[in-house]
Amino acid sequence: MSAIRPVDDVIVAGVSAPGPDRPVLDCSNLHKRFGQIEAVRGVSFRIAEGETYGLLGPNGAGKTTTISIACGLLQADAGEVRVCGSPLTTHSVAERAAIGYVPQELAIYPDLNARENLSFFARLYGLSPRQAETRVEEVLATIGLTDRARELTKNYSGGMQRRLNIGIGLLHRPRLLILDEPTVGVDPQSRNAILESVERLADEGMAVLYTTHYMEEADRLCDRIGIVDLGELKAEGTRAELVSLVGEHDQVALEGSGDLSAAARACAEVVAVRTSSINDGAIELIVDHARSVLPELLSVAADAGVAISSVEVTEPDLEAVFLHLTGKALRD
Amino acid sequence: MRASLVILGKDLRQRIRDRSALLVAIIVPLVLASIFGLIFHNAITGKVTFTFGLVDQDHGPASRAFATEVLTPLRRQGLIKLHLEPTLAAGRSAADSGKVSAVFVLPAGLSAAGGHGGHSHVQVIGNVDEAIGTQVAQSIAQSFANAIDTLRTVQAAGVSSVATTGGSRLPVPIVLADVSTKRRQLDAGTFYAAGMAVFFVFFTVQFGISSVLEERRDGTLARMLVAPVHRRSVLAGKLLTSLVLGCASMAVLAIATHFLLSAHWGNPVGVAMLIVSGVIAATCVMALVATLARTPDQAQSWQGMVALVLGMLGGAFFPVAQAGGLLAALSLATPQAWFLRGIENMTGGVGPSAVLGPVLAILAFAIITGALAFARVGKLVAP
Amino acid sequence: MKVIAIAVTDLRRLLRWRANVFFLFVLPMLIILLLGAAFGGSRQARIGVAGGREDVLAAKFVAALRQRESIDLIRYSSAGSLARAVAHGGVDAGLVIPRDYDARLGRGLGVTIDYFARPDSVAQQLKTTVQSVAADQGRAFAAALLVQRRLGIDYPSALARARAAAARTPAVRVLVTDPGGEPYTSGTGRFQSGASTQLLLFIFLNSLNGAAWIIETRRLGIGRRMLSTPTSVRTVIAGQLLGRLVIALLQALIIVLGSLLFFGVSWGNPIGTAGLICTFSLVGTGAALLIGSLFSSEQQAGPVALLLGLGLAALGGSMAPLEVFPSTARAIAHVTPHAWANDAFSKLLQHHGDIVTILPQLGVLFAFAAGLISVALLQMRRALTA
Repeated sequence: MSAIRPVDDVIVAGVSAPGPDRPVLDCSNLHKRFGQIEAVRGVSFRIAEGETYGLLGPNGAGKTTTISIACGLLQADAGEVRVCGSPLTTHSVAERAAIGYVPQELAIYPDLNARENLSFFARLYGLSPRQAETRVEEVLATIGLTDRARELTKNYSGGMQRRLNIGIGLLHRPRLLILDEPTVGVDPQSRNAILESVERLADEGMAVLYTTHYMEEADRLCDRIGIVDLGELKAEGTRAELVSLVGEHDQVALEGSGDLSAAARACAEVVAVRTSSINDGAIELIVDHARSVLPELLSVAADAGVAISSVEVTEPDLEAVFLHLTGKALRD
Repeated sequence: MRASLVILGKDLRQRIRDRSALLVAIIVPLVLASIFGLIFHNAITGKVTFTFGLVDQDHGPASRAFATEVLTPLRRQGLIKLHLEPTLAAGRSAADSGKVSAVFVLPAGLSAAGGHGGHSHVQVIGNVDEAIGTQVAQSIAQSFANAIDTLRTVQAAGVSSVATTGGSRLPVPIVLADVSTKRRQLDAGTFYAAGMAVFFVFFTVQFGISSVLEERRDGTLARMLVAPVHRRSVLAGKLLTSLVLGCASMAVLAIATHFLLSAHWGNPVGVAMLIVSGVIAATCVMALVATLARTPDQAQSWQGMVALVLGMLGGAFFPVAQAGGLLAALSLATPQAWFLRGIENMTGGVGPSAVLGPVLAILAFAIITGALAFARVGKLVAP
Repeated sequence: MKVIAIAVTDLRRLLRWRANVFFLFVLPMLIILLLGAAFGGSRQARIGVAGGREDVLAAKFVAALRQRESIDLIRYSSAGSLARAVAHGGVDAGLVIPRDYDARLGRGLGVTIDYFARPDSVAQQLKTTVQSVAADQGRAFAAALLVQRRLGIDYPSALARARAAAARTPAVRVLVTDPGGEPYTSGTGRFQSGASTQLLLFIFLNSLNGAAWIIETRRLGIGRRMLSTPTSVRTVIAGQLLGRLVIALLQALIIVLGSLLFFGVSWGNPIGTAGLICTFSLVGTGAALLIGSLFSSEQQAGPVALLLGLGLAALGGSMAPLEVFPSTARAIAHVTPHAWANDAFSKLLQHHGDIVTILPQLGVLFAFAAGLISVALLQMRRALTA
């Protein structure tokens, strides 16, 4: 087996650079069965270069199985995975260099220190000893563990271990970073830190595949989201596309003093407004695209003689989308 | 290949930090071999001292000769200690209480009977707890009796000037020469050194192979499989860990026991061949067990069982071959038994060619178990 | 009672693992096989002989050897094959009779017979027997040499006179008895007490295996959960102790009954033996508890258990009799419980004692057990409540 050279140095043998027609990851019609259970049923999606793609779904939806197939850990019963244009199977070797993997459970060696953990995987990813040394120090700095690098990881706090867990995935500067529910069971502070690092990586141009069952995370991080349930990809798109796909609308509640009914009637005339009613001393409107129509609504209400004291906009969220699509709550 | 070596390096680093590996690979077998060496020290050097009693009911020249010409020289050489008991009853109780290993009783009329050719006997009262001492006493008494017999025969043949006393310088026409050490018999120190080493190596090699199961449980195996390395490189790295640990452990034990226990392992080339083939066989067997287990705990307990059974059958604790029949045959199905045979074959300075047979037998075992393991290895190195 | 509940749950968990079923029941069977085959019944010692087929006197020697009751004689075609047989245990000892046996004896020259054997007590006893046969066969020739020397006649005449005289002279017999006057039986054929000493080794070793189980229970947090109920540490430990003790006793019972039934291994007075086994199992279980409380990782406890199990057994005389120990080793042997248990077994088997006879030894063993359990209790309390 010839040495694998790191991705940022040279084009990896057989794996071309991604482009508009060559997504970083292309999964088509994946199927995977475990005994009687069909864990993945015909899942297809693509991730373009630099894109952050989220797989959103409850526990047991098949997210972990899907990404196990995507990184070549499991072999799909049917369907194909391509990484930067080249097919990826469990036997592929060179293609894996483009992928970085951060599993949900901590996968670090407790009886080695952070530097040893990183060096080991750096060498496995084909970095020469010198390259590995440089890169390890860079990653240690990125994850903020340089000072504690010589301690055994079993003595680290949970947060530190998580950071190392992510750091290992970054060593070889992958084109695509796959993170499997990285914030489950994590305290809010560390969670925020993780989300920030993912945003930073995305800004630097890394493609990210991010699975989660937290809607807020998908909202915050992802350019596009795929909603999965029971092994199927129910819908995918940007947040706005998903929301509109299911026909959910924004709610606007205007509180104020004056002739509310007149204002309500006036608002009802606005094109984007679907329904208008009065409730508990507030004007409740169902509109398309509250953000764009809000200025018009405010001026219409003011013209009708109402002084608006508070505006509340409620946009339908992904939970609502999920509920609509599956009839279930995203989180039980 | 390079990936395998990287994995080997990481595994070795972990194992060196892991005290249990050090315990199993070196400390425990060494301590045990030392204990055995201590116990068998006298047997090795031949310096056991027995304590005997003497009841002289004869009070004649025969008994005097026994005391001065048979027992005294043995006492001077430090081979026996002697207590004189006044009566037969005292002698019996000395043997019963454990004060002595055995009591010689020279009955009244022993010297006299010699003169008239009557029947006579010499008695040995043995302590039932000290079979070996009793047997040594029997041997001493027997040689004394033989001397009396010879002298009486000479007298009966017409030579009257020879007194019927215990023999000094009697000719011994048929001599038994104990050539045990020259004829490929393992001394106790070497037997236990080699036995413990080959028993424990089956535990030592587990650290390499079973770690696959542990890494699977801990998620780091998945990380290795996601990296751009072949699955077979991962497996090769783990196998190499077992081989390196096993060979290192046995080499250290061979050298340490050579100096600490005067264990004679034999020709270094032969020993090296036995060690390498033995470690390969141990790795293959333990790999097979690992492919059959589903969790690391299960693997560990099954491996422990297999190592114990093979070690017992192979004769690492007591010589099974003397049981004969089915058990001796079963024993030959274990690599441990062949390993010990190989060491035995080299005693007395025989060259390494003596181990070719055992090495082939061990490798046959390795090939069979290794092939079975290989068939199942796909399940082992999987996330 | 809580103690029983804890013990029963422990046993139930244990028996769910198929591996444990092996350890608990199949392994003792194997031990029985090995013990029985090696030490059961009264097997004769086997001696192999090479050479001496052609000569008359040599044949007489072999015939005399064959006549001894305790010996099973097997002929080999060459010294080489005989040597291999001895090395690999096919026979216990080997004799090589030289080709010129008759010729040399006929001329008044000495003859050397090579003897080689495994370094164990059976072989040494064989040597005694062979030596006595050799002395007996050689008596006429020794006498002849003396007659020749004293009377100054030629060897053939001397030999003729000596032979005639030897026929007329009865040999001095050597009687070997025990203190009671009965023929000495301790060493016929095999080292009889080997079965009992090995039993002690295995009881102890098997008990120590329980240490890993105890550690696992603690690691899983079950111990701590038990303590969060209104249960004292003492009860928890008593429960674990009871569970392990039942298993140890069961294993010992299987070995004793199995070897008795299938191989006729004798175990002496039943009550005495039962009492000894129970007490010794308690010691083993106490040791297991102690190890289980001192170590937090099964992987470390395992080798330590092996070390203690085998090491103490060896030091206590379970692998080779105390007789052959050097004085330093013999002095420290009684630091181990095995030495005391071996003493007790010896009293039961060799001295035909009963439970009363072995009360002192049982007392010491109880003290061992009490000591081990107390320390285990202290350590366990510390470990569980830390």
